[in-house]
Amino acid sequence: MATINELEQAIKPVVVRRRHIPLSLLGWRIAGYLTLIVAVLIIGLPVYWTVMASFKETREIYSLPVTWWPAKPTFNNFSAAWEAAPFGRYYLNSFITTFFGAGIEVILALFSAYALAYLRFPRKDLVFLLLLAALMVPTEITIVPNYLTVARLGWINTYQGIIIPGAAIAYGTFLLRQAFMAVPHEILEAAHVDGAGHLRILFSVVAPITQPAIVTMALLSIVSKWNEFLWPLIVTNTTDMRTLPIGVFWLRNSEGLTNWGVVMAGSLFLIIPVLITFLFAQRAIVEGMTAGAVKG
Amino acid sequence: MKRTFTRRELLRLMMVGGGAAVLAACGGQSGQSTSQQTTAPAVVSQPGSKVKITYWGSFSGNLGEAEQAMVKAFNESQNEVEVEYQFQGNYEETAQKFTAALQANTTPDVILLSDVWWFGFYLAGAITALDDLARQVNLDFNDYEPVLLNEGVRKGVHYWIPFARSTPLFYYNKSIWAEAGLPDRAPETWAEFSEWAPKLVKSDGSRAAFGHPNGASYIAWLFQGVVWQFGGQYSLPDFTMTMTDPNTLRAAQFYQDTVLKEKWAVLSPNLNQDFIGGAIASMMASTGALAGIQANATFPVGVGFLPRETNFGCPTGGAGLAIVSRAPAEKQLAAMKYIAFATNPTSAGVWARSTGYMPVRISTKQTPEMIEFFKQNPNFKTAVDQLPKTRAQDAARVFVRNGDQIIGKGLERIIVNGEAPSSVFADVNNELTKAAQPILQDLKAVEG
Repeated sequence: MATINELEQAIKPVVVRRRHIPLSLLGWRIAGYLTLIVAVLIIGLPVYWTVMASFKETREIYSLPVTWWPAKPTFNNFSAAWEAAPFGRYYLNSFITTFFGAGIEVILALFSAYALAYLRFPRKDLVFLLLLAALMVPTEITIVPNYLTVARLGWINTYQGIIIPGAAIAYGTFLLRQAFMAVPHEILEAAHVDGAGHLRILFSVVAPITQPAIVTMALLSIVSKWNEFLWPLIVTNTTDMRTLPIGVFWLRNSEGLTNWGVVMAGSLFLIIPVLITFLFAQRAIVEGMTAGAVKG
Repeated sequence: MKRTFTRRELLRLMMVGGGAAVLAACGGQSGQSTSQQTTAPAVVSQPGSKVKITYWGSFSGNLGEAEQAMVKAFNESQNEVEVEYQFQGNYEETAQKFTAALQANTTPDVILLSDVWWFGFYLAGAITALDDLARQVNLDFNDYEPVLLNEGVRKGVHYWIPFARSTPLFYYNKSIWAEAGLPDRAPETWAEFSEWAPKLVKSDGSRAAFGHPNGASYIAWLFQGVVWQFGGQYSLPDFTMTMTDPNTLRAAQFYQDTVLKEKWAVLSPNLNQDFIGGAIASMMASTGALAGIQANATFPVGVGFLPRETNFGCPTGGAGLAIVSRAPAEKQLAAMKYIAFATNPTSAGVWARSTGYMPVRISTKQTPEMIEFFKQNPNFKTAVDQLPKTRAQDAARVFVRNGDQIIGKGLERIIVNGEAPSSVFADVNNELTKAAQPILQDLKAVEG
């Protein structure tokens, strides 16, 4: 409670002084808001454009000057996109590969980060160094060797072929290890004294405290798996194994004119599930933070 | 949003992965494990059972639907062969995947390769000679448009059959033309267009008379025609680079002047969009874009042959079909049957009408459907009429790995940065010569 009173005192003067903000402070504040507005525009404009374009006729999209609101709003793009490719099947494949891909990635990251943060074993530094090195390798470079491995395992055009090569990503382990390191030692020692084993400590003590980091990592993982394009394209051959991003790509014309309205409608098919996931996950991130603050 | 590539980045990526893989393929790997696609018995000789073959293609959108329809029509037309069409991304991605598949032994049986890719796979021995197979299915090479067919011939042997082939056309906006009081036709020479151009420009900068694409959207393809028009060329057939030829430099100087000195042309990353939007009054662009532009433009679209300078010059482009040399004999024959079907006079007409690509067969032009189509689409007839006057591109762009982008970047330096053509093209000449070295070695090994 004491902290809250201090906080209030710290806040109050600002509230009282609001009408007499010194000019320099006002300037900073205006600059801050301007930066905010610019950031929102930079991020928001392409999204706005995508949404608007999906309701426009192709002719309107190509016309100059650009229109900011569809002149004749139409839903035809959505039905055209849905009919142009088996999007139902793409959704199923994307759900399967994202669910298992991200799921395995999170579990592996949890265990390996726990080991790296708390367990004592020889050459631990070397293992962590290797992990950091793996973090530096761009995934593009591993595509050809991964393809050869997957092909020799006979996994071309299978779910495991899409999922397994991307299941263990160093950044997840790295991110969670850093979060775990920040957990106070006393709590872990208390759990030890109470007779908790490693699994119990991980899932009942460490995981709840570091929930925001875990959810953030899971979210990043989900988004990257969901949007992944090049690997699923290379490792699959038939339409019934392909994922949503490839479906959206299929809507584009390789030569000549692209029917952008349909492509944008397809992009919305791709974006919306991630957006919903994000909204739910965001709550968990915020909850995690406040939960920690109040208890602390 | 983790992995989005621009075309250029993808190309660069492929140079890294693909280059190594092609080299490895040159080393002549013998078969390892049996491939995924060919897990079906290699030889299917029992009567009544179909030979199943895999076809890798690059078309998506409307073109992809047309390609799928072609495969479906073939499968329904006979009961010996069943083709499975598998979309593999754009030309570059398809080639990259084919490179990886050669190493992993997961190759298809028939594959669509673009003008800049087939030659590398020919050198690597990845695609097979087609003459024997063609004889077995009674394919008449004499009825193919010679300029298109001969591009895929090495040492008198056919390797690459034209399928989705296009050429550049001169497009113009008829409304702006009328507004400027110009005759309703494309300019006959660049000199004539230089006189017209100032009338087409809007002084507030909102409209240019002409648009050039940038390097990433293949300016080197369109400039190929212009170089010939000025009496120059990129390279000689023996891979001697001629970028510093006085006529080649004259063409480059002309390109620079249109943008920097005369200021009636602009460099645009999205030419079609600017043309439809009215930001440019004319452009050179692929015949493949004709249908889409006509459907979306709010003004009447005019097309014509490319302008002349000292000569007429117009390159061909697009993609053709090849058969994978590793495929079992029976599948190769089945693949040839599909190629024969997809490029027969009737199919060639169907494909041309639904996509805007050139009909690859001479007799297609005389079919009643095509005559009717020409009547309704006089612009498309112009494109087809120009076809016999086109010629295959110089080795520097299509046979040298990344040659297109090397020339394209040089042109960007000339047009955007205003550097002197002679010094830029001297650099380009060196770079192309260096890039051609390994190809010349491979060529010697393959063709002697």
